[in-house]
Amino acid sequence: MTDLRSAAPFTEADLAGQVGRAFPGGSYTVHPWRAWLLADTVLAHPPSLRSSGGGAQVAHPLFAWMAATGAMGVTWDELFSWFGATAADGPVFGEHETTLHRPLLVGATYRVSGGIVSAERKVGRRTGVFDVVGYAMDLHDTEDGTHVATCWNSIVFPRRNA
Amino acid sequence: MTAAAVEVGTELPVYDVPSVSAEKMKTMAALLSDPTPIHWDVETLQALGMGDRPVNQGPLNMSYVMNAVTGWAGGPDRLRRLRVRFLGTVLAGQHLRVRATVTGVREEVGARLADCDVVLEVLRDDTAGEAVLSGTATVVLP
Repeated sequence: MTDLRSAAPFTEADLAGQVGRAFPGGSYTVHPWRAWLLADTVLAHPPSLRSSGGGAQVAHPLFAWMAATGAMGVTWDELFSWFGATAADGPVFGEHETTLHRPLLVGATYRVSGGIVSAERKVGRRTGVFDVVGYAMDLHDTEDGTHVATCWNSIVFPRRNA
Repeated sequence: MTAAAVEVGTELPVYDVPSVSAEKMKTMAALLSDPTPIHWDVETLQALGMGDRPVNQGPLNMSYVMNAVTGWAGGPDRLRRLRVRFLGTVLAGQHLRVRATVTGVREEVGARLADCDVVLEVLRDDTAGEAVLSGTATVVLP
């Protein structure tokens, strides 16, 4: 793998050039086992695995984020590399927004699409130079095509050498 | 809780995580396919000079806020929107508290919505805390 830290600095022009870049995308299924394990992990009440009839069970709302990032079609390392960074550079979550147009359901499959929506270089008095990159994904139910959720996030990339 | 009883200034019941579990972080790492070892490998943490308490995943911190507002509103189907800013880290064993306050009540396409300010705090003692996540949430009222 190329060591991008030793390559030329990632410029503001490089940064701007990534805005609009699309993720390959993919699909994500809220399998019952996933729904149970996630709910248990986040200290919520897991949906019953023995339930029959009565319609689909609602999945924990964190599944919007799980599906969006799980099926965006690139790994975290690949996404970091789009911005000339690696996990060792210390990128961190900045902000997150989930908008749910309807609840996600256990057993449903969602198509994920999206990409880079913003990128801005900033200078903090204490933190020095850093880049804030926004990326967003839409979730559509593969069964009926309904747009069920939008997931927007930002990552902060420290630029110690900028 | 009934929609009629909700008004600007209504405080939601506090939601506590008495002790953040390192074991849950391991399951979360597997569910996320997250290879970052600071969430589960103490040896790596020590090598990085980060002590010996694994760092909770950001989505886990977010989920506690979701639990707090949806538990109050009536279930996981009640969340319409959550926007948060990550302000700090949460370590295994820490005591967390979610606090939320209604800032607006409105109608939208036949649904009655409550907008809330939300904050997740690490408690240093039983009363005072440091905010590690803050933002806003919108839920559908019953």
